[in-house]
Amino acid sequence: MNRFQSGRTIRIGLSLLFAAAGALAAADDLPKAETILDKYVEVTGGKAAYAKIHAEITTGSMEFAAMGLKGKMVEFTAEPGESYAELTMPGIGKILEGTSGGVAWASSAIQGSRVKEGDEKDETLLRARFNSDAKWREIFKSAETAGIESLDGKDCYKVVLTPNAGNPVTKWYDKQSNLLSKMAMKSKTPMGEIETETIFSDYRKEGDILLAHKAVAHAAGQEIVLTIDSVQHNAEIPKDKFELPDEIKALLKKTAK
Amino acid sequence: MPRPIVVSVLALACAVVAGGQPALTSAGRQANIDSFEHAWKTVLDKHWDPKLGGIDWQAVHDELRPGIEAAKTMDEARKVMSSMLERLKLTHYGIIPADVYRELDPSDASGGGARDADPGIDLRVIEGHALVTSVEPGSPAAAHGVKPGWEIVRVNGAEMAPALQRIQQQFAASTLLDLRLARSVLSRLQGPKGATVHLDFLDAADRTVSLGLDRVQPRGQLAHLGNMPPMYFWAEWRKVRPDIGYVRFNLFLEPDVLSKTFADAVNGCGGCNGFVIDLRGNPGGIGGLAMGAAGWFMGESGVELGTTYLRGATLKFVVFPRPQPFLGPLAILVDGCSASTAEILAAGLKDAKRARIFGTRTAGAALPSIIERLPNGDGFQYAIANYISQGGKPLEGIGVIPDEEVRPTRRQLLAGQDPALDAAVEWIRNQKKK
Repeated sequence: MNRFQSGRTIRIGLSLLFAAAGALAAADDLPKAETILDKYVEVTGGKAAYAKIHAEITTGSMEFAAMGLKGKMVEFTAEPGESYAELTMPGIGKILEGTSGGVAWASSAIQGSRVKEGDEKDETLLRARFNSDAKWREIFKSAETAGIESLDGKDCYKVVLTPNAGNPVTKWYDKQSNLLSKMAMKSKTPMGEIETETIFSDYRKEGDILLAHKAVAHAAGQEIVLTIDSVQHNAEIPKDKFELPDEIKALLKKTAK
Repeated sequence: MPRPIVVSVLALACAVVAGGQPALTSAGRQANIDSFEHAWKTVLDKHWDPKLGGIDWQAVHDELRPGIEAAKTMDEARKVMSSMLERLKLTHYGIIPADVYRELDPSDASGGGARDADPGIDLRVIEGHALVTSVEPGSPAAAHGVKPGWEIVRVNGAEMAPALQRIQQQFAASTLLDLRLARSVLSRLQGPKGATVHLDFLDAADRTVSLGLDRVQPRGQLAHLGNMPPMYFWAEWRKVRPDIGYVRFNLFLEPDVLSKTFADAVNGCGGCNGFVIDLRGNPGGIGGLAMGAAGWFMGESGVELGTTYLRGATLKFVVFPRPQPFLGPLAILVDGCSASTAEILAAGLKDAKRARIFGTRTAGAALPSIIERLPNGDGFQYAIANYISQGGKPLEGIGVIPDEEVRPTRRQLLAGQDPALDAAVEWIRNQKKK
C-alpha cells in the first residue's frame, strides 16, 4: 500500500495513491511547466494557504468494484514527512503504511510487515513530503511541458516531471481551470513496476484548499475508486501515531545485526 | 491492494442448483443477454493473453449468442455462458448461480437457507472408492461411529460407483481428476441444515452400515470476501509430535485469523525440530496469502514464489520474512484437492528448496482470478493472470508434484494411519539426525 493522499492531491498507485508536482522548461509555444505547477498551487488555494497547514487527517473510502471490495481509509500526515495510513477492508483486514523518521514501511495480514528499501524507499519518502504540491521544487529535479492533449473533450497541458528519486510522473492539467485532471506513473514495488493511470474529479474546498474528492485509478488490470470524505487541517494527531509498529522495529533491529 | 482470488468455482460444491425453474420474463432474458455480452467482453479484455491461446473468440460469440437469446430459463442461460467459458479450457472461469450466494449465506436477507451443511465427513476417492478420510469430532457422523476408511457406497439410495466411473473416464488425463471425484461425492453429502442424508457405508469388515445423518453447519465461521460466495473458514495449529508443529486451515481467507494462527504456531513451537503445513483439501483463496504464509518460514529477504503475468503487468510473488520465522525443516502435505493458492505456496517453497512436499499431485488449478456479479445476479469468475512458479513451470494443468508421493490406502485409513503425515514426520526426524 502506498499513501492515500499527500498534500492536496489524491494519489493512487497499485495499492493506493501517490502525488507530486513540479516543472522546469517548456517548448516555446507552451507555458513553462513551472508556470503550470505554480498556477495549480495558486488555483487550489495559494502558497500562503498551504503554508498555514502543518498536519492533517484525511478520511475516505477505497473500492475495488469488480471484486466487490470496499474499505474505509484514514491517513494522518504531518510535517516534515510523517505519515500513517490505514485501510480497513472486510475480508482482507487492515493494510497499513507509514513513513517516520526516514523509515518507510508497510504492513498487512496478507503479506506481513516490511521495511521499504532502495528505490522504493526513496520514492516513498519523497512523496510523503508534507505539502508536496506546494513544495514541488524540492521533489522534482526537472519538469517539462510536453504538449496539449484532449481528455474527455477538454484540452490539458501534459507535464512530465522527473523526481529526485524514482520514475518520471506525467500529469495533465486542465488548460482552462489549471486543475489536475490525470496522472500516470510507474511505481516501484518489490513485486515489480506497476503502471498506474488516475483520473481526478469532484474538486471541492476543504478549508482554504481546493481538493479532488474522487480519483479513479487503473492499475494491474483493475479499477480502483478512491473517495475523500473529509480533511481536517491542523488536526491534533496523537503523539504515538507515527511511531513505528513493533514488527517494523523488530525487522529494523534484525537488519541492523 | 487486495490480491486476486485464487479459488476456483470448483471449490463451491453447491454451485449446481436443481432445475425446475420458472420461465424468464423479458427483463430476465435481457439480463441474461447483457450478462453473456459482459462475460464475453471481459474475457476478451482481461485474459492475460490477448490472443486467448488462439481461440476465435468472435466466432464463439456468434455461435452462442442465439442460444442465450433463446434461453427460456436461468439454467439454460447458464449452460450457454458456461459453454462459452469452457471453450477456454482453463480453470477459474465459471458461472456461479445467484442462488448459491443466498443458499450459502444463512444471514442473507432474502431468506435463503444454507445448503452447505454436511454430516461432518471428509473423503477422497481412492482407486475408485469414496473413502472417508476424516470425521469431524462432535459431528453427526462421529456420533454414529463413522470411521476413516469406511467406503461410501450409496448416497440417498444412489450408487456412487457409476457416477465415479463416468468422472474417471471424462477426466482421466486431467490433473483435476481427484478434485472432481471428491467434489462429486461431497456435494451429494451437502444440503440444507437439519436435513438428513442417507448413507450406505462399507465398514472395516465390509459390512453394509446404513445411516441417516443430519446435516449440520460446517466447521468454522462464515467468511465473506467481496463477490465470492461466503464460505466456512477454520484454521488450527497443534503439535503432532512433542517436537513437531502442525498447521492446517481449510481456505486461504480471513488474513487476520490465518496470520494469528501462524504466529501462535511459530511462537508456540519455536524450539520444535520441524513443522508441517497441511494443505490437503485446501482449494485456495486470496493469492497474496501464499506470500504471507511463506514469510513465517523464510529467513532470507527477496525470495520469490513465482510470477503472475497479467495483461500489461508482471507481478512477482515476493516473500517478506517475519521478524522471527521458523527456519527448521518444513514439510508440506498436498493432495489432488489442493488447488490455487495452496499450490502457489507449495510450489514456491519447493522451488526455493525451503520445503519438502509429501502426498499426491495437486489439482493444477492456479490462475489468479476475480469474481464479479453479472447483470442477471449470477457470479462470474474469470482469470486475470497466468502463474508461473519460480521453477519456471505454470501450475495450471500441471500442479505440484510431491517430492515424496504418498497415497493413502483403505487399509491405512482403517488402521487410523495418515501415511503422508507419517512420512513427513519421519523425514523431519531424519533431518534432526543429520
